[in-house]
Amino acid sequence: MATITYEAATRFYPGSERPAVDGLEISIEDGEFLVLVGPSGCGKSTSLRMLAGLEDVDEGAIRIGDRDVTTLAPGRRDVAMVFQSYALYPHMNVAENMAFALEMAKMPKQERRRRVREAARILDLEPFLDRKPKSLSGGQRQRVAMGRAIVREPQAFLMDEPLSNLDAKLRVSTRSQIAALQKRLGVTTVYVTHDQVEAMTMGDRVAVLNEGVLQQCDSPRALYQRPANAFVAGFIGSPAMNIREFAVHDGHARIGDRDVEVSDELRAALADEGLDRVLLGFRPESVDLVGPSEGFTASVQLVEELGADAYLYCSIAGTDHAGDPDIVTRIDPARPPRVGETVHLRVRAGHEHAFSPVTGERLSS
Amino acid sequence: MSAPPVVDGRAGGAAAPARSTTPTAVERLKRRIPLLPALVLTIVLTQVPLLGTVYYSFHSRNLLRGDAIEFVWFANYADILGDEHFRTAVLNTVVLTASTVTLSIALGVALAVLLDKAFLGRSVVRTLLITPFLVMPAVAALLWKHAMFDPVYGLLNWFLSLVGVGPIDWISELPMFSIVLMMTWQWTPFMMLIVLAGLQSQSPEVLEAAKVDGARAFATFRRITLPHLRRFIELGILLGSIFIVQTFDAIFLITQGGPGQATMNLPYFIYQRTFRAFEVGESAAAGVIVVAGTIVIAIFALRVILNLFREEG
Ligand SMILES: Nc1ncnc2c1ncn2[C@@H]1O[C@H](COP(=O)(O)OP(=O)(O)OP(=O)(O)O)[C@@H](O)[C@H]1O
Ligand SMILES: [Mg+2]
Repeated sequence: MATITYEAATRFYPGSERPAVDGLEISIEDGEFLVLVGPSGCGKSTSLRMLAGLEDVDEGAIRIGDRDVTTLAPGRRDVAMVFQSYALYPHMNVAENMAFALEMAKMPKQERRRRVREAARILDLEPFLDRKPKSLSGGQRQRVAMGRAIVREPQAFLMDEPLSNLDAKLRVSTRSQIAALQKRLGVTTVYVTHDQVEAMTMGDRVAVLNEGVLQQCDSPRALYQRPANAFVAGFIGSPAMNIREFAVHDGHARIGDRDVEVSDELRAALADEGLDRVLLGFRPESVDLVGPSEGFTASVQLVEELGADAYLYCSIAGTDHAGDPDIVTRIDPARPPRVGETVHLRVRAGHEHAFSPVTGERLSS
Repeated sequence: MSAPPVVDGRAGGAAAPARSTTPTAVERLKRRIPLLPALVLTIVLTQVPLLGTVYYSFHSRNLLRGDAIEFVWFANYADILGDEHFRTAVLNTVVLTASTVTLSIALGVALAVLLDKAFLGRSVVRTLLITPFLVMPAVAALLWKHAMFDPVYGLLNWFLSLVGVGPIDWISELPMFSIVLMMTWQWTPFMMLIVLAGLQSQSPEVLEAAKVDGARAFATFRRITLPHLRRFIELGILLGSIFIVQTFDAIFLITQGGPGQATMNLPYFIYQRTFRAFEVGESAAAGVIVVAGTIVIAIFALRVILNLFREEG
């Protein structure tokens, strides 16, 4: 068990001038569960593979504990990896699969047997120890891949989308099992996923990547409540946060047919940057249906009822782009408005997020 | 961590749903009638000559003598099996086939492993390595006989002279070795291609998993790659054996089975019996024996090919 530090780690794939991972800077604490999340192609797998030693680090460094592992061979880093395809050794049975790394480390047979039995017990794999991977179900294979990692008692677990080949229901139960197992073993874990729900539910901290650049690394709650920029704001949360650009005049933002006063703080921040427009974001749950005299006017384009919740997709009056709904809001599913109806909406005070339309960085504190 | 069995739907869901309709006998016949001409042609082209050979093998017939063709039961087989030259030919065939297959597999695996790595000019090297297999066997045999083996101006002796050895009269001093050398040259590309296909069908993630698990290159090759290649190597051995048992061009053009009986293999033996001694009956019996032996090998080959598709999936 150890800390893991990325120090401005950068990776250029041969033949592309844009780095796949650009100056990644993260310190992971001992025993922490860190999730790397981001859209497809943002460099999550590359970051993880750099840590495993499967990709070169072109600039910067990576440390595990006090050791600089930047140029160390994968086998000498003492990390265990769970692959998306599980990458089980097809010609070995479950027990041999789990024991392989121990055998390579020249561990005595007795100890090997003990560890494999122990892992099999934890993972409920005891009945399958003699089976070959091809005769296991997807969920069982996933557990063998986990077992192969835990028998090694490594410094760190690296997992690259280990749940993406499971069906939805199994994914949810396995998700909590992995998180619980990690807590119990206390092994530092770096976990890659593109699923933000997985990221939010499993991680002690979540690092959001976009186009190879780290956007924010923080606890799930902080990411949700104080996204550092418009990308993180739009990426975390489902349905996504409403983010729209509005003009600001005399300390008022013009939203549809109504002027809304902006806070003094935001006004100061805008003045500092010399901006007369602002990116405002508000989550669907921060928008309320109000009476006709309050709030701005919008017309309902779509009502999505999910049972416990209902979501209203509306277009704000005064904006003329027809197709896309401008704003999504969560409402009480008991009395949903009808499509085409005109409603009045208000953003709960203090629940808006302001970003610079130029840089996308957060403006309000 | 345990998955509750209820959610683990994959284990039970594997069974394919049963076909709901079974076609009637007439329907089945209708479906197959268009295949009939091809089937008839195949039978005529392959089985009639075989039946002819079997027929001859039970009759005494020599083209030099005009006597009536006589049914002689198993006399031809008895003669052939009692013939010392036939037994030599069987032994030579086994030696030739086994050495050629072993050497070409070993070289093929080595070359395939090298070709599996990325390096500058790989496709050129790969093409060059395949060419021996594309050369017509007869041309290859003549090429080796004159350009390589010739005691006076052959390349092999020239190479040896550089290190102060030789000259060797390859074909008369080392006849079997020479034939094996030439056949290995010709068959290595075939083995290499099969093994290369095997290497490239290996999951790169499995190899990466082995790296992360601390396996060194040699351990990875022995414990992970070689078991994966086993089926491909078996396939190479069996297909190679079937073809190399039938080697004729090289023997005919380079050694004529000699010196003495040193390189007399089964095809050349049969050829001699038929077209030099005109012993149609005896050579037919020898042919039937060879076919029977080859069929046994082929059955194994088919089984291996089928396993290849079943094993990983
Ligand atoms: N071997 C490679 N050679 C060249 N470019 C690559 C290679 N592997 C990945 N890339 C590029 O690097 C970028 C990051 O890839 P990476 O696999 O890390 O993405 P990811 O975040 O894991 O995406 P996903 O969620 O789809 O798995 C992508 O733009 C990809 O095209
Ligand atoms: Mg990936």
